[in-house]
Amino acid sequence: MKQLKILGQLTLLALIYLLGNQVARLAHLPVPGNVVGIILLYLLLNLGVVRLEHVQEAADFLLRHLVFFFIPVAVDLMNWGGVFYRYGLALALAIVLSTALTFLGTGAIAQWLEKDGASCTD
Amino acid sequence: MHGLTILFSVLLTVGAYLLSKALYLRYRHPLLNIVLLGAGLVIATLLALRIPYQSYVPGQRIMTWLLGPATVGLAVPLYRQRSLLRRHRREIFAGVGLGALASMLTAGLIALAAGLPKDVLLSLLPKSVTIPFAVEIARIHGGSPGLASAIVVATGTLGSVFGGTLLTWAGIKAPVARGLALGTGAHGQGTAMAFMEGERQGSMAGLAMTLAGITTATFAPLVVRLLLRH
Repeated sequence: MKQLKILGQLTLLALIYLLGNQVARLAHLPVPGNVVGIILLYLLLNLGVVRLEHVQEAADFLLRHLVFFFIPVAVDLMNWGGVFYRYGLALALAIVLSTALTFLGTGAIAQWLEKDGASCTD
Repeated sequence: MHGLTILFSVLLTVGAYLLSKALYLRYRHPLLNIVLLGAGLVIATLLALRIPYQSYVPGQRIMTWLLGPATVGLAVPLYRQRSLLRRHRREIFAGVGLGALASMLTAGLIALAAGLPKDVLLSLLPKSVTIPFAVEIARIHGGSPGLASAIVVATGTLGSVFGGTLLTWAGIKAPVARGLALGTGAHGQGTAMAFMEGERQGSMAGLAMTLAGITTATFAPLVVRLLLRH
């Protein structure tokens, strides 16, 4: 019974994903269908058309095992071994610098706005 | 024959997942990354049995398709946290927006300066967002999904090992700001670290992870045009 319920919820998530894909394709959006799907589901939840109990077991199950789905994607690396060999240093540099700047940028502006907001409302 | 190959690919991948997850849970070392370890096991098995990559592709397609509905499921935690989202909307939108742009622009500019090939540069742009977004963003703009996912894992591992220390060193102590930075800069792996710091940091990081994916996907076409204009 519980499996059947999860299967139904999974179908609903898959339908919303397919709908997101279609919307992105037909509207020529330069954004992936899964992004349109998330926004769609978030809106449907807020409007009360879809309720948490219609999707949450399947969503929680998939998100708990989300890492599994990354493995087959990463197997594609088989074809890219040479890139790391050849461009490893530049890639490492780009990753390290850009990640550090992302942390500092996000952290600094969020902290600044939070303090600013706190002093306004207090 | 075709069905058997698919079954073999799926069973191999599930086995690799369970094994690498068990190893990670036992040692909890950030370098024992489940994605890289699992993919490494699959690749090693394929090479050892002399199975060409092409034979893995049909099974791979089925498994990766399910990533779509799984990603749509991210709307559920987003909805559960909607009051938090509303309360901190200014910090969230400014922080995540700035972070997503900074991540793409700096990575892209360094790649350009270093003369990396176009497909490598395009796989590098979504480096800070969680894999399901990164894969699609890379694919749409002409990068490689596999390379993008490896770069995402490298970013997440780096971010989860050094992110907290860097933020403390820079004097960023507010829990909301720390959570947002960890989720924006290092996606799920950063979010896991944020949850170790505290509930508040973790929830903010989870929100930031999903929103950074959406923001990056939205800005990516603009950034690609800016970096690669002819």
